[in-house]
Amino acid sequence: MNVNVVLVGHVDHGKSTLIGRLLYDSESIRDERVEEIQTLVEEYKRRFEFAYFLDSFEDELKEERTIDTVSLMFKGKRNYYTITDVPGHKEFIKNMLTGASHADVAVLVVSAEEGVQEQTRRHMFLLKMLGITQVFVVVNKMDAVDYKKERFEAVKSQIRELLTSFDYRTEEMLFIPVSAIEGDNIYRGSEEMNWYAGRTLIAALDGVTLEGQEKTLRFVVQDVYEVDGAREVVGRVESGIVRKGDDVIFEPSGLKSKIERIDVFEGELRAAAAGDCIGLVIDGDVKRGDVCGAVENPPRVVEEFLGEAVLLDKKLKKGERIELRCGTAKVGCEIKEIMEKIDSETGAVMEKNPEEIKEHDAATIVFATEPLVVEKFVEIPELGRFVLVKKGKSIGAGVVLNA
Amino acid sequence: MGLKELENRSIYIIREVYAEFENPAILWSMGKDSTTALALCRKAFFDRIPFPVIHIDTGYKFRQMYEFRDRIAEEWGFDLIIARNEEAMKADVRPKDGKLECCTALKTEALMKCLDKHGFDALLLAIRRDEHGIRAKERVFSPRDSAFKWDYRDQPLEMWDQYQAQGQRQTEADETIHIHTRVHPILHWRELDIWEYIKREKNIPINPMYFANDGKRYRSLGCEPCTSPINSTAKTIEEIVEELRTTKIAERSGRAQDKEKTFMMQKLRALGYM
Repeated sequence: MNVNVVLVGHVDHGKSTLIGRLLYDSESIRDERVEEIQTLVEEYKRRFEFAYFLDSFEDELKEERTIDTVSLMFKGKRNYYTITDVPGHKEFIKNMLTGASHADVAVLVVSAEEGVQEQTRRHMFLLKMLGITQVFVVVNKMDAVDYKKERFEAVKSQIRELLTSFDYRTEEMLFIPVSAIEGDNIYRGSEEMNWYAGRTLIAALDGVTLEGQEKTLRFVVQDVYEVDGAREVVGRVESGIVRKGDDVIFEPSGLKSKIERIDVFEGELRAAAAGDCIGLVIDGDVKRGDVCGAVENPPRVVEEFLGEAVLLDKKLKKGERIELRCGTAKVGCEIKEIMEKIDSETGAVMEKNPEEIKEHDAATIVFATEPLVVEKFVEIPELGRFVLVKKGKSIGAGVVLNA
Repeated sequence: MGLKELENRSIYIIREVYAEFENPAILWSMGKDSTTALALCRKAFFDRIPFPVIHIDTGYKFRQMYEFRDRIAEEWGFDLIIARNEEAMKADVRPKDGKLECCTALKTEALMKCLDKHGFDALLLAIRRDEHGIRAKERVFSPRDSAFKWDYRDQPLEMWDQYQAQGQRQTEADETIHIHTRVHPILHWRELDIWEYIKREKNIPINPMYFANDGKRYRSLGCEPCTSPINSTAKTIEEIVEELRTTKIAERSGRAQDKEKTFMMQKLRALGYM
C-alpha cells in the first residue's frame, strides 16, 4: 500500500532533518547522494545535516531553511510512502499547501525546546480545512532537553489543547518523543527514553490503513475526442463506480444518457472505479467541466454556495470578480459576501462581514458563480474543493461548506 | 503507487495539457522515460498523438539513438520535429570547452529557437522527481518566462490536480508577456516504476543500449561524450528490474553535466535546461 504523508510544523522544528533521518535509517539514500553531500559540506564549510538530503536548492543551504515542498518515495517496514516535506516559514504557505494537498496522513513536528509556535498553529488549522485529520504528533529535539519525560508531557498537553480547539479528535492521537538528529524513536527505539513504551514513528506509519468509504458516482469531463468515428468523452472517475449500461446525467449540461461503452486504449471495459481515466461513449453532447452522476443521485448544480477559503494573494474584496476552478470546470465567480474573516493561525473570527481579506487570511465566503457542479466537502471531497484564480494565477484554495 | 495509479495520473495530466493549451508539444530524447511518456500519450489519445514530438539533436547522440528515433517515429506515426542549434554546431561548441556552456548552447538554445519558430505554449517533459533533488522540487505545470527562466522561489500553488495553465501572463503593469509552461506528466514515477511498467506493457520500444554488453550498460542516455555506462550484467528488462531493486548507485551517475560543479543541475535548470 502507498501512503502519502506530509510533515508539517514550525520553521526549525526539524521536519527536513526528521525525513532525512527516516530515509537514511531505512537505507533509501543512494551512496552517491551521501558523497555529494559530503562534498557540499566541505565546500560550504558546514556541519553535516540530515536535512541536506532534501533541501537541494543552493539558497536553501545558504539560508538554512526549506523554501519549497519536496516529495520523496521510500519503503518502510510494511507500507510504501510518498513523504512530503513542506516549508515551515510563513512566507511559503503556498508551497506548504501544494505539498499538503495530496496527503493521506500528517506528521506534526514540534520542538521540545520551543513547543507550539505560529506555524504549528497555522499548519494545523489549514490541514483541518483540507480534511486531513489522521495525524501523528512527534515531539522532536528530545536530546536537547535531556530526554526528560516532564518536558515531553508539558509540550504534549500544549499541543493537545491546540488541536482540541481546532476540533481534532485527540483522544486516540499518538504522541511520540523523538530526536531526529540522534535517531531516537524514528526508525529504531530509544535507549535514552525507556519511559516511553509506545510505537516508533515508522511503526505508527506502518500501522496506517486507508479505508475509502462507499461514495456515489462522479465522473469529470476533461475533453471530447473523435476516435475512429466515435465520440469519446474522456475524463476521470472521481468517486464511485461507472458501469456499462448505467443511466446517467451530465451537469450542468443536463444531458441524460445510457453509458453505451467504456473505452481505454487497450479496449472496452465493463466498469471503472475512482481514479480511472477513461473514455465514455454516450448519446448526446457534453463538454469539459461537466460532471456525470447516476440519474437517481445526480450532481448538484449551484449558482451560489458557501465555502471556506484561504487567500495567498495580496487582497480579495467583496464584489470582486475572479475565476473559480472545481473538478475540470472553470467558471466566472463573484465574491458575493465575506461572512467571516478568520485568523489562519488561531482559527479565531477576526471580523464579521468585512469588505476585504488579505494574504494568509482565511474566510467563509458566499460565492456567486456561473452554473457549476459542487458537492459538500464532507460528502464528496473530490468535488467539494476549489481553487481561486485571478489573471491566470492561482491565488487561493478552499472547500465547500454548504451548497 | 501501483502502476495503474501512476498511469492514470499521467493520462489525466496529458489530457489536461491538450485541453488547456492551444499549441503543446512533447520532448523526446529516445530514452526510457520519454519513450514511456510517448506511450502514455498514445494511450491518452487512443493511439494517435495529436501534437508534435520534438527531438533536440545536439549532433552528439549515439548512432543507435538516431536509428531508434527514426524507426519509432515511423511505427507510431507522429509528427517529428528535429531541433538543432545549427549556429552553435557550426561554431563547433564542444563539451570540453565547458559542460554548462555546451548543454546551454546545444540543448537549451536549440529548444528556444524551436519554440520561437513554432510558437509552442506548453512542452511536455519526461522528468521524474527521484532523478535528482532539483527535479524533486518541480511542479507538474511549471511556467517559464520568455528567457526560459525558472522562478523556483515563486512556484505556483498547485493543489488537487488543479494546474495553473499559462501561455501568457500579466505583469504588475498589466502588460501581457508570452511564456510557456513545462508540463511533467511522469514526475511522480520512480526509475523502478518505469522499468516495471515497460515489463508489464511489453510493447514499449527500448534502446538496446540499456542492456548489458561486456559487463556494462547505460542507465541514462545522453550525448556520447558526456555519458558513460555503469557496471552491470542485466541483459533483459526483468534483470534490470531486479538490479534496480537492490542498487544504491544513482541513476544519473553516468551523466557528466550534473557533476561538474556543486548545484550544477540547479544552474542548468534555472537557465532553462530540461
